Amino acid sequence: MSLAPSSARPLACLKQALRQCRAERHQLRQYATAESHYPSLQTRYPAPSPGFRTSHATKQNRPEVNMKKIAVVPPPRSIKKVCPDPIEALYQSQLKTLDPTGARTRLFAKTNVDRAQVGDILLVRLKSGDPFSGVCINIRRRHSPIDTAVLLRNQLTRVGVEMWFKIYSPNVEGIEVVQRKQGRRARRAKLYYMRKPSHDMGSVEGVTAQYIRQRAGGTTRGKAGGQKKKSKSKK
Amino acid sequence: MRRYIQHHAYYTRTLLSTTSTAIVRRGAAVNMIQLKTMVNVIDNSGAAIAECVKVLKMKRAAKIGDRIIVVVQKQRNFGPESGGSVSVSAANKVRRGDIRHAVVVRTAKKYQRPDGSVVKFDDNACVLINKGGEPIGSRLNGVVGKELRNKQWSKILSLAPMHL
Repeated sequence: MSLAPSSARPLACLKQALRQCRAERHQLRQYATAESHYPSLQTRYPAPSPGFRTSHATKQNRPEVNMKKIAVVPPPRSIKKVCPDPIEALYQSQLKTLDPTGARTRLFAKTNVDRAQVGDILLVRLKSGDPFSGVCINIRRRHSPIDTAVLLRNQLTRVGVEMWFKIYSPNVEGIEVVQRKQGRRARRAKLYYMRKPSHDMGSVEGVTAQYIRQRAGGTTRGKAGGQKKKSKSKK
Repeated sequence: MRRYIQHHAYYTRTLLSTTSTAIVRRGAAVNMIQLKTMVNVIDNSGAAIAECVKVLKMKRAAKIGDRIIVVVQKQRNFGPESGGSVSVSAANKVRRGDIRHAVVVRTAKKYQRPDGSVVKFDDNACVLINKGGEPIGSRLNGVVGKELRNKQWSKILSLAPMHL
């Protein structure tokens, strides 16, 4: 019979639980009296004086007055304030070593009106090996400006050759514009159509040789270059 | 190209270059030298086009300076001044169907050099060699890649008119 009401009224047990809860809370309220009964609950500190307020607690209930003060360390300076744009800073520091004069940056800066553009014939002088010249058919500015590279296309011994050069590479001694694009500027950013036989410019060796001769000012070196080229074509 | 035709020497070259342009397109589509790739032969051994049947010592596509085995597919026809079919066979050191070793000297696949520059040619080309590594032809026409130097193909480099 005792089981029947609980199964019929499932919330009946709630009443019992609440009652127990209330009793416990009552007991808690009489904590001060309880601690005299239980020595483990007694504090080391004297009981608060009559008329005690919680605001007094900081002074009254703290016997460790002479405790060593722990220095409060200020938060570290925000890295955002120290270096707002680390990538840019890195780029500038790299430029200082790779392009101290800033000439290379100027040659490819978008703000420069006389910059090298696709369709121009460029001459790349290398520290190791012969200079390479060709039509610039792509300028790639990727990730960081330090990665800027140019794709040059030329024909050597009637075989099309394409080379990518990083403009800030330590191996690149200098980049010169041999000839601007004839006529209008290119309507594409990448002149890959120049790989097609119908659009191929062919060899630009002749233009480059003439440019080098002009720069040398008609000295013996320039003439020798011209002769060398002639003999090559005769072969 | 037309202005060279007056010269006999150029005449042969023009013929060769017209055949090779047809191959350039085929080679560029494949881009990597592997089994069945048609490769231009740029020496005077007598072969014009060869088919790669094996890339030696590798499980990858061949790069510049790698040794491959090829089958000669097309013979070079020398100009009319060489005189008749008899001399054609005499001048050619290899014949159609021959299986030969070869060194890749140009690839249409981009190759990045250690200094960061990238080189790419318009066609795939090779030079026939014997098993000892000596080139079969005595002359090369056409630019070759500079990677040959690091791989002890200096003989081919010295034969080449230009290296890049």
